[in-house]
Amino acid sequence: MGFFCPRPISNGMNKPKLIISSAYAAIITIIFVVVITIWAELSAPLKDWLKNFSGHHWTSKSIFSVLLYAIATAVFYLLPQKEAENRLQRMLNYLLAFTALGVVIITLFFAGHHFKIF
Amino acid sequence: MDIVAILTSKPVLIGLHLGFAIIGIDAFLWLLGKWKDDSGSQKSRIVTAAVGVLAFIASWFAGGYYYVVYYGVLVKPVIKSGAAPWVHNIIMETKEHIFLFVIPLAITVFFITLLPQEEIERLGFRRATLWLCGVVALLGLLIGAMGFMISAAARWGVIN
Repeated sequence: MGFFCPRPISNGMNKPKLIISSAYAAIITIIFVVVITIWAELSAPLKDWLKNFSGHHWTSKSIFSVLLYAIATAVFYLLPQKEAENRLQRMLNYLLAFTALGVVIITLFFAGHHFKIF
Repeated sequence: MDIVAILTSKPVLIGLHLGFAIIGIDAFLWLLGKWKDDSGSQKSRIVTAAVGVLAFIASWFAGGYYYVVYYGVLVKPVIKSGAAPWVHNIIMETKEHIFLFVIPLAITVFFITLLPQEEIERLGFRRATLWLCGVVALLGLLIGAMGFMISAAARWGVIN
C-alpha cells in the first residue's frame, strides 16, 4: 500500500495527497503574488492591465491568486505523485519557508521602492 | 438607510474586517492548542479550522470592499500628505499583498484537520503542522498590527 493511501479511506479522498497538493498550490500562489506585485510596480502597462481587468489591480491579483490556488490544487491532486516517507513534513517546511520569504521580499521591495532604491 | 447601506458603510466595513480577522486568528490559535495538547475531537478541529477559514474569507471581502471603494479615494491621500506617508507606501502595500497568502495557508491547515491526530504523528509531520497553524495566526496578527498603524497614520494625517 502506498504512502498516499496509508489506510482505506471511506469517502475515497486521499487526504495526505490533498494536503501535499494544497501546499504545492499555496507555494505557487505565493510566488505568483510576489512576482506579479513587483512586476506591476515596475511596469505601468501591466498595472494598467490589472486595473482594467476588474477595476482595481488588487482585485485582479485577488481573483487570479484564488483561481491559481484552486486550479493548482486540483491539478496536483489529479497528477500522479512520487511516494516518500517524509514528503508531508518536507512540503510543509517548504511552504513555511516560502511564506517567510514572500513576506520578507514584499516588505523589502516596498521599503526599497519608497526610499527610491529601485 | 437599508441594511446593505449600513453593512457597506465605512465604519461597519472596518469593524467587520477586523472582527472577522480576530475570529480567524483566535480559531487558528485555538486549533494550535488542540493539536499541541492533543485535546478535542477530530470533528472539533475540523469545525475550528473551517470557522477560521470562513472568517478570514469574510475579513478579506469586507476589507477588500473597503480598500477598493473607500481607501484609495478617502484615506490614502490623507496618509500620503500627513506626517508618515511611508505608512501607505510600505505598510499598506505590504499588508494588502501578504493578505493574499493567508487563505491558501489556512485552507491547507483545514485539509490537515481532515486527518486524525494519530495519522499526523504516524506520517511524521506534527511539528510542521503546529508551525503552519501558528504562522497563519501570526500572519493575521501581523496584518492586524499593520492595519492599526494605517488607521493611526490616517488619524495623524488629519490632525496635521
